[in-house]
Amino acid sequence: MEYRATEITSRYLRSRKIPSTACSGCGLGMNHKIVIQAVKELGLEVPDIVWGTSIGCAGRQTFATWKGDGFAGTHGRVYAIARGLRIALPPEKKIILTVGDGDAFGIGLTHLIHSARSNADMTVIVNDNLGYQSTGGQYGWTTPQGSKTDSSPYGMFEHNLMSEGMDVLKILKGAGATFLARHVAMDGAWAVETVKKGILNTGFSLIHMPYPCPTNFGSRELGSRNQVNIFRWIRDHSAPLGEEKEDTFWATGIWHDASNSRPEFSQFVHETVEKIRRTGTI
Amino acid sequence: MKRFLETGNFAITEGAILAGCRFFAGYPITPATELAEAMSFRLPQEGGVYLQAEDETAAMHMCIGASLGGYKAMTATSGPGFILYADPYGWALGCETPLVVLNSGRVGPVSGITGAPGQGEFYLTRYPTQGGNFEAICLAPNSAQECMAMTVEAFYLSERFRMPVTVLADQLITDGFEDISVPENEEEMKKMGFRTWSRKIHQGPDFYPATDEIDIPPVVLGHNTGALCSDWTPTEEGYDIEEVEAHHKHAYRLIYKVRNHRDLFNHHYDKKFMDDDPDLIVVSYGTPSRVVNTAVSKARDEGLKVGALRLINLWPFPDEFFGAKTKYLAVELNWDGQLVREVQRAVPKDSEVHFLGSCGDLPTIPDLIETFEKVLKDEPLARKGWKLEAW
Ligand code: SF4
Repeated sequence: MEYRATEITSRYLRSRKIPSTACSGCGLGMNHKIVIQAVKELGLEVPDIVWGTSIGCAGRQTFATWKGDGFAGTHGRVYAIARGLRIALPPEKKIILTVGDGDAFGIGLTHLIHSARSNADMTVIVNDNLGYQSTGGQYGWTTPQGSKTDSSPYGMFEHNLMSEGMDVLKILKGAGATFLARHVAMDGAWAVETVKKGILNTGFSLIHMPYPCPTNFGSRELGSRNQVNIFRWIRDHSAPLGEEKEDTFWATGIWHDASNSRPEFSQFVHETVEKIRRTGTI
Repeated sequence: MKRFLETGNFAITEGAILAGCRFFAGYPITPATELAEAMSFRLPQEGGVYLQAEDETAAMHMCIGASLGGYKAMTATSGPGFILYADPYGWALGCETPLVVLNSGRVGPVSGITGAPGQGEFYLTRYPTQGGNFEAICLAPNSAQECMAMTVEAFYLSERFRMPVTVLADQLITDGFEDISVPENEEEMKKMGFRTWSRKIHQGPDFYPATDEIDIPPVVLGHNTGALCSDWTPTEEGYDIEEVEAHHKHAYRLIYKVRNHRDLFNHHYDKKFMDDDPDLIVVSYGTPSRVVNTAVSKARDEGLKVGALRLINLWPFPDEFFGAKTKYLAVELNWDGQLVREVQRAVPKDSEVHFLGSCGDLPTIPDLIETFEKVLKDEPLARKGWKLEAW
């Protein structure tokens, strides 16, 4: 697939914010491009989407890039804001959230789980730079075990959401998410297809997308800021679901697809309220 | 007009509905639970949405989301939940999102005593979040009927000033049963002094003008206006920016849009025996003010020249009522003295300021009258268990 940045940027993104202020060599732009490409291939236009972002590299670097309406929540709260907004927006408006791993799987996990539980229509793209990189590079809840970061100088040894057979997507599946997937930033067109499916689900969709951070994670764990090293490292530790190897951290592809299998939160709430208003009962 | 024998929580619910509130998100907490329950019953009847949140932080953030989508929204809690609102409260102040927050005070710190009234959040309603660089608006009713009126007023102010407004009540007001009149149409609302303001939509592009103007419509998402809102210091269009100059403009707006329009709410107070330059002015708000008013009337019968000043509009603090150089006594439901500090700041130099605290329990009328006498006779105030009148 050919990505023509100029075409999609002028159609969907604000020139003031693109290119972003992310470090040179950062892989976040690849994830961002995958999502915008998916939006384009679905034929969605700027007014069709309200874009939310979180805190940290992923949130700040994508905030206000979308040409349409946008909002950013403080640490971990954007999922709760999005649920309230979902009640107020017409059902045909899509909510896309580009957030980071610390925001979604750390401080915001409760709100994320409750968004999945309620099956609120939103597509959450968790851009995972393997820890807290905007604060200088501390380990997070998906940092591979053994990784050296500024707050794990001996190697990250805590149990986390991706260690020892754990997978954060299992938690979200249990909570009721109707679409879950994982891709690494290098998955390109394949990831675009997945994000499209996520957006088309009228319900809670989440796509976990690890991406390379050369500045902090790469330099600390691999001993070099050379972006090629961290790009390779992430690619080599990912494999399509079912083809995992011993050293695979990220099994990629659609993890759980129950799209449109249960009522969407806001539509269900409004229908029920309407029934109560008319008949006094549910 | 319909009359009820009902609780403050009932009155607040009806007030919110009259003001156009159609979204409530909350988290159960004594003594604000009954309000959530009343909302869950009443809102759907009006086509509104009640949602229970996973915690207070989420509750207020959900209200923010609903308000950003165009709804008038409200949440309610007590002290331990109000502290969790710090996060969304700051967000709503910065993004100038209208919404209403009710705090029904109980005894603290932390969980303290759940079923007794307290006034430990006087300063917390002034500084409901970190960072400073803003003014806050807080209204403190002292009866069920006034709870309704101040809820309606809080929605009105929140729209005009584009900001969250706190209604500070306490357990006795929200849980107590009283005679309540509910207006049934706009004319009756007007007669009762209820003011309303409908939601308008900002069309951009300068969503955050660097002025002290009010009546600027708030940001509403989903209308493709290109609206932006975030937790960062905004440019006038809403882009995040790390610049002191932009921050200065933003802070100017958050402070002076309120400070320069005090005339919109400084009529919210209550004065008794204040026209003959009393020798002692007793200052209070909320439930204790009801006992204070009775005590002051009785003291007058006994020949003591005391007056009562009850504050309803707590923040911005109404300094203009404290121009008299006389003695002051602040009566409040805490032992550390909060209102009294603000009174001390506002009074003319060399005025005498005293403090009578209690918590979980109202002061009695004889206690109050005895205190008035002591203050007037320059006798020291020794309070239950404390040697000195320290605050
Ligand atoms: S710190 Fe890492 S993740 Fe953040 S912008 Fe720089 S390279 Fe990207």
